[in-house]
Amino acid sequence: MEDYKPIISDCIDGSRKAQSMLYHHFAPKMFGVCLRYAKDATEAEDNLQDGFIKVFANLKNFRHDGSLEGWIRRIMINVSLEKLRKQHLLYPVEDVAVYDSVNFSDDVIAKIAADDLMKIIQQLPPRYRMVFNLYVIEGFSHQEIAKEMSITQGTSKSNLARAREILKKKIQENFSELVGQNNYTA
Amino acid sequence: MKKDKNLDELFRDKLLNYEQEPPAYILDHVLAGVAGARRNRKIVFWRIAGVAAALLLAFIAGWQINSRDGQPGKPAVIVSQQKTPEISTAAKPEIAANESGNQPGNLQSEIVNKPGRVNLQLAEVANENQISKSRTESSTSNSKSEQIASANESLIVAKNEESALLKPVKSLFRLISSGSQNVATNLHEIKKVTPQTEQTDKTIDQQIMEQNRQVMMAENQTKGKSRWLVGAQVSPEYNVSRSSHSQVYASNMLNSSPNPVDVGGGISVEYKKGKRWSLQSGIYYSGMGQSSGNSNSNSAKNFTLAGADRGSEYFNTNATIDASNSKMMMNSTAGVIEFKGIPSGIVLGTNLEDKTLASNAVVVSDARFIQNFEYIEIPLYLRYTLIDSKFDVEMLGGFSSNVLVGNQTFMESSAGKSLIGSTKDMESMSYSGTLGVGLKYGLSKRIYLNVEPRVKYYLNSLNRNSAVTYKPYTIGVFTGLSYEF
Repeated sequence: MEDYKPIISDCIDGSRKAQSMLYHHFAPKMFGVCLRYAKDATEAEDNLQDGFIKVFANLKNFRHDGSLEGWIRRIMINVSLEKLRKQHLLYPVEDVAVYDSVNFSDDVIAKIAADDLMKIIQQLPPRYRMVFNLYVIEGFSHQEIAKEMSITQGTSKSNLARAREILKKKIQENFSELVGQNNYTA
Repeated sequence: MKKDKNLDELFRDKLLNYEQEPPAYILDHVLAGVAGARRNRKIVFWRIAGVAAALLLAFIAGWQINSRDGQPGKPAVIVSQQKTPEISTAAKPEIAANESGNQPGNLQSEIVNKPGRVNLQLAEVANENQISKSRTESSTSNSKSEQIASANESLIVAKNEESALLKPVKSLFRLISSGSQNVATNLHEIKKVTPQTEQTDKTIDQQIMEQNRQVMMAENQTKGKSRWLVGAQVSPEYNVSRSSHSQVYASNMLNSSPNPVDVGGGISVEYKKGKRWSLQSGIYYSGMGQSSGNSNSNSAKNFTLAGADRGSEYFNTNATIDASNSKMMMNSTAGVIEFKGIPSGIVLGTNLEDKTLASNAVVVSDARFIQNFEYIEIPLYLRYTLIDSKFDVEMLGGFSSNVLVGNQTFMESSAGKSLIGSTKDMESMSYSGTLGVGLKYGLSKRIYLNVEPRVKYYLNSLNRNSAVTYKPYTIGVFTGLSYEF
């Protein structure tokens, strides 16, 4: 599906067949994106559904000078951001614990399955999860994150540092057998 | 730092292209949602059309009522005068008892002594005065009652005139006070909720987060309730002349055409309640004018006696000479131009064509007469937000009171331009209706760029001469900035 023009055109015309095809092509990858930004699979499903409705409603605005996958991915991220804003969850008041620094070898993470890493990310407080995803996975700068989330760059940096610490702590808790095999200091 | 980068890379490698098959039912929900969105777009279209139709109907209704009245304001006074005796005699004893300490005379003097007080207070005092007067009337002898009733009548007439003018101001005042009270109460509650003792125990990070949360909550609460916008706009105004005249008047009338472009603009104040509706007022300046010259429609006159070199300068429109005060007048579409004297550069010939018209004079000149009218406009517009996003689209409709502040007529000829008089019988107060579309773009969180095409037309004739009906249209594109707080 290199050339999306015909299928996009059919989708704009309201063809359910074309919409189904486009959905099946991108849904698994976009569900992966939504899972990363959500606290669980149910929330990810909601975001995926809302995201694709937006995709089909705005396909006429897609300019064919960029990647369609990137455009759809951006919509999924925006849906997740919007949901966080609506739920006033951008301020992680539920997580205020101070974590001790945890260190272990990179091999530990390499040995952990992607599904398990996904579950750990989903356990992060909403704003930490958002900052971590935007910075680490999507490659946003702190300036861009600050603008998207209406926070300061300092807050973004602080949230990222805190997210990393929480992730390490969770890995230590959930995969102690792997961590124990490596150099671990707490 | 390097450790963090390694951690980040490991997460990215594992999760960037992570895929998982979503449940099958999501596709059904998506397709149903897309179909629903299409239906919603149609519903939104009909809602917009409905609002537009409602505004248009209100606008036309106002126009019709106003055009029937002729001179706005007066009928309301007549109605209130008819009701006056009933109100005066039907004063209830319990009301009178509540006002037992007040003396009508004192209240009147209080009003006179405090001219700077708010109009709202004035209206309320007038109301109290009315009740007190009624009480006084019931307690005094029958011989005095007629005098009091007549005084009371004039008081109520004055009060009713004020009430009609103050109605929109009063409602706006009520909105302001309730809105500001809500915001103040909310902020006070937020302050009360914050436990100061706990803050000292928290880390710096916690405090920042707590402050952010409070600011966010306060902003959200304020956004959901009421907001104010002040702005300034300027607009080029294109006038379209719309006039009718009696046959006699029109038979001796200059050939007029509106000024190509005039300038308008001013300061606006908008009160926004909720997401969609808002009320706007302000103060605007509006310039308007027309240029009148020789009519080429009348070819009945015989200019053979005139010199060949000035034949084309003989006006087909005669001037009327008022010999008693050396004034000269000519008919234009906007009304009679009243010259302060006979301007230099004009040659007048009396009794040349028709000796029965002793006061008529033939004008010989290459001049054009430019009539300029300047108005201060106080509008009351209702605005409805059709599209609420980064680029807002709004519809607006409403009425304005226009106070005439400038009425000048200039003569422009080969000799130059000079002030020669004014247009006679122009109404000092006129009323207009406005319809428009507002496009608003947020330059920042609080500052907006506005572009608003508006159509304004005058509901009553701008000239009170019974032979002239002059109701021009004005089309303008108001552009400016507004600040929200």
